[in-house]
Amino acid sequence: MSKKEKKQNKANDWGADVELNIPEDEIWTFQVPGLAAPHINKPYKYYNLKKALFVIVIIVAVSLSIYFSVLALQNDTFDYTETANGIEFSKFSNTGYLTELEIDYVSDIEYIPGNNDPATNFKVVKDTTKPIKSVRQFTLNCDDKIKTITIGANVEFVDPKAFYSCWALQNIEVDENNPNYCDVDGVLYNKDKTEILCYPCDHDEYLRQKYGYEKELYRDEVTPEYERDIQIYIVPSTVTKIGEMCFNYANLRKIYLPEGLKTIETLAIFKLHERVDQWSTHPSLENVYTYTAENVSDPHFADEATLGDVYISLPEGLEYIGSDAFSYNQNLSCVYIPESVIYVGHHAFWDTCYKEDGELKGVSVMNVAKSESEFTNKTEIGDNWIPQYDYLLFKKDIDIKYETARQ
Amino acid sequence: MANGEKQSLVDKGKWFFNEIKDHWSTPAEGKYVPYKEYKDVIIGVGANYTGSKTLEYIGFWSSCFLIMHHYKLPYLTFSVIGLLNMPLGYITALIWWYVCDNLGFLPKKTEKKVYLVYGLMMAFGISSLLFDYSMLFDQSGAFITMLNSFEGMNATACFKTFGTHFLYSGWVGARNIFWRKKLIPKYGRYKYSLYCDVIPKCIMVILIGWLPVYNIADVATRVWVANLLFATYNVFGFGNVLEECSKRISPNLQERILVRSYPVKLSHIFNSILAIILPAIVGSLRYEWADINFYRWVIPVTFCVSAGFTMFLAGRIKERIPQPPIEKKVQIKFWDGMLGVLKNKYLLINTVVGLIDSLGNGMLPFATILYFYTFRLSGLPYSLLVALISFAGTPPDLLSPYFLKRFSYKQIMIFYQMSRALGNVIIAVAMWTLGDNLALCGTICVVVLFFMEMTKTVPTTAGHDMGVRINDYQMYLSGERLESFAGIFGWFTGPITSFVGLIIPIFLLKYGFNSNWEILFFDGSRRNIVVVPIIVDAIGFFLMTIPYLFWDYDNKKQNMVMEVLKRRAEVTEKKAQEEGISVSGGYKG
Repeated sequence: MSKKEKKQNKANDWGADVELNIPEDEIWTFQVPGLAAPHINKPYKYYNLKKALFVIVIIVAVSLSIYFSVLALQNDTFDYTETANGIEFSKFSNTGYLTELEIDYVSDIEYIPGNNDPATNFKVVKDTTKPIKSVRQFTLNCDDKIKTITIGANVEFVDPKAFYSCWALQNIEVDENNPNYCDVDGVLYNKDKTEILCYPCDHDEYLRQKYGYEKELYRDEVTPEYERDIQIYIVPSTVTKIGEMCFNYANLRKIYLPEGLKTIETLAIFKLHERVDQWSTHPSLENVYTYTAENVSDPHFADEATLGDVYISLPEGLEYIGSDAFSYNQNLSCVYIPESVIYVGHHAFWDTCYKEDGELKGVSVMNVAKSESEFTNKTEIGDNWIPQYDYLLFKKDIDIKYETARQ
Repeated sequence: MANGEKQSLVDKGKWFFNEIKDHWSTPAEGKYVPYKEYKDVIIGVGANYTGSKTLEYIGFWSSCFLIMHHYKLPYLTFSVIGLLNMPLGYITALIWWYVCDNLGFLPKKTEKKVYLVYGLMMAFGISSLLFDYSMLFDQSGAFITMLNSFEGMNATACFKTFGTHFLYSGWVGARNIFWRKKLIPKYGRYKYSLYCDVIPKCIMVILIGWLPVYNIADVATRVWVANLLFATYNVFGFGNVLEECSKRISPNLQERILVRSYPVKLSHIFNSILAIILPAIVGSLRYEWADINFYRWVIPVTFCVSAGFTMFLAGRIKERIPQPPIEKKVQIKFWDGMLGVLKNKYLLINTVVGLIDSLGNGMLPFATILYFYTFRLSGLPYSLLVALISFAGTPPDLLSPYFLKRFSYKQIMIFYQMSRALGNVIIAVAMWTLGDNLALCGTICVVVLFFMEMTKTVPTTAGHDMGVRINDYQMYLSGERLESFAGIFGWFTGPITSFVGLIIPIFLLKYGFNSNWEILFFDGSRRNIVVVPIIVDAIGFFLMTIPYLFWDYDNKKQNMVMEVLKRRAEVTEKKAQEEGISVSGGYKG
């Protein structure tokens, strides 16, 4: 058969008329050649055996599946891994009632028989012969119960992503004898305070308790005193690096950075927000300032005069701005990129500008110290580093003002 | 153009016009569908499809924008809920299939018993929502501490979720018997559900946007309340039933494919337009995808309008599968139904394919991650890119009849799986090696997605058509289509797929993916979270080619099966009339 004929044959096959002369009494039994015979209203062979086999197979399959799935899903509260450097704290799964977490020795939960109150029927027991040396990334991930974390004296390394999105975390305390880390009023730093590592998501709650505020003030209720005590943070003058995701989701309106700062890491100041009402939040970060005073160690804002010269700008001497470093801060009003910057990551200032009633709000102009050619040639810039706004149903970059002086 | 060709085109145009005019109300000989019904298919299926697609913006699954941005539920919690619901799911499925495959017509006594079971399930469900049954157990015992250890859950939430499933199953089951019996004789077995579900569905769509359940601070409470809300929402369906109906619009195979390839395809244009408009509206909102007003206003209005058009045209689209009248249909005994589907070799092959496909269960939607976390798209650029990729499938789909004639189902499906495997490998390599070069990596991914979409539509059409053919074959085998009993294969695969489906979410949790999707802004995390599941999925696609090597159901066999079905319908109706029984719902073809 030629190729053409074969094709033709196939096409005919599609709608071919099929003549089957089926007698009336065979309509339920007629077998099409090449297919199984119909089985309608007829008894099955080994009917009961088939039924029993069916039920047994299903029950065994479901039971095994549930057993293994529960095994896979069930989490120990504390999970540790033995590494070359010692014991690593690798995963924490809250019982639902733990609000304080001490990371010093290998721990376990011991339940108190007879106590039927789930909030108090357990205690954490520690094995003091097994000190924790490191904390792995995502050890705490989206926990919404832990309020305080205490880091013990033996901990040598805490991954920057170790306490990711701990929504209720108010403060991190570090044992005084820890040679690698310290805390400044509940915020995690490395020991010599050259690096700020983690500003807890709910640190404002800790500050409210400290400064005697009974409840959280919503955006329109904020007083100057409340803003000063709760929503302004001064990064100490020793700090040269802001760690990955350090300030993300914090409730801050203003951050003062020291002139000696060199690096702002990936997602370091990402999506800061405050409550508008019981139901919703709003971007909170209004400005990032640079101060020139030395020996500033108290993060609490008292008076701008104590900070030396203050500029609405990123610090002179800053070299690195990581990707998404300032993303989603729509309330941010002004950005100045100093001459020293040699790297700006992708989406570094993403969604910091928006249009309302035809007017640009947020970061509407990007101020850059370098000239256009210098900035393009000597600074490594990532995709979409510049904010964009809605323009004729599309997005448009905001203007860049080169060779500007800082304010 | 030569004169002769011009003439021929004009002639064709004239012929086409006359053909439409002559057969506007009555179909041509050998055909079953008048062209007027083509018009109804275009608008009716279009509205139904648009409405059901709009509902894809709302759902109790982790990748739903509402869940991502507002509810922030832990990713693994969905697996826990699935596990809690699994045992009861098996029991309720039994009753469900029995009822469905008998089209709701049960012996009186059985019906009463089934109603009683459903009533008791609802009562237990409601009581478990009102009372905390977990307090009946020892709070420091192994059982409760195990429940407390599940991601995003605690013992109370587990019991409430379990109770919700009882309530849901009882409620849905009782409605199923009641409405099937009342509405199937009048509206047919595919579109009857629209008539009883559309109003409550509209109400639930509005409530989901307006009830601030996502503001509940405690995650475990938020999980079970959200589960209850969405379970109630899911009681009422608004599936793409008119399209299902149009798949059975004619017993003529060629006409079925024609309807599926042209009017049904054209009907999807409404959704394509909406798919451009909706994201553009999103782009104009202050917080874009994260803006709750999208769920309060845009979705409800769109859905209610689509639902209105659907109901207006639903009555005009008919199903014409050869079948005995409902009064004379074969009664399916429970075990006969179960064993009947197990005899269907082609369902078995599809089951093996589905089993292998479960390797990719639990992976995040790659395209969503690409659009939102790599490209940060919103508004019109998002719409245009999505539309461009969706459009890629349209031209090949118009050629579906050609491909379906030219190639066998086996060839088409093997090509499909291989193209998926290859596409996934290219994406994985691009993500792994060019992860932080967003422009280049993103462009490669978009091009691959475009080609994958292009090569998807013909196999999808072939798959849909083969699905109907397999049901025809089942009807030949068992005297009824046993579409619900076909779920029995899921019983065997369910335990395996539910366990295998945990592998990827557990991996993702290890790489930092839980309830906060913003970890995907981190290049390193995004790479791990996306690439590992894609590779697993690619292996799955490659393995899925193997079962298709055993596929041997061809057009000739199908035509013979249809002849048998027509003959059965003819003979049974004749006998019924001889006995003086009034008949309804039958079709002789």
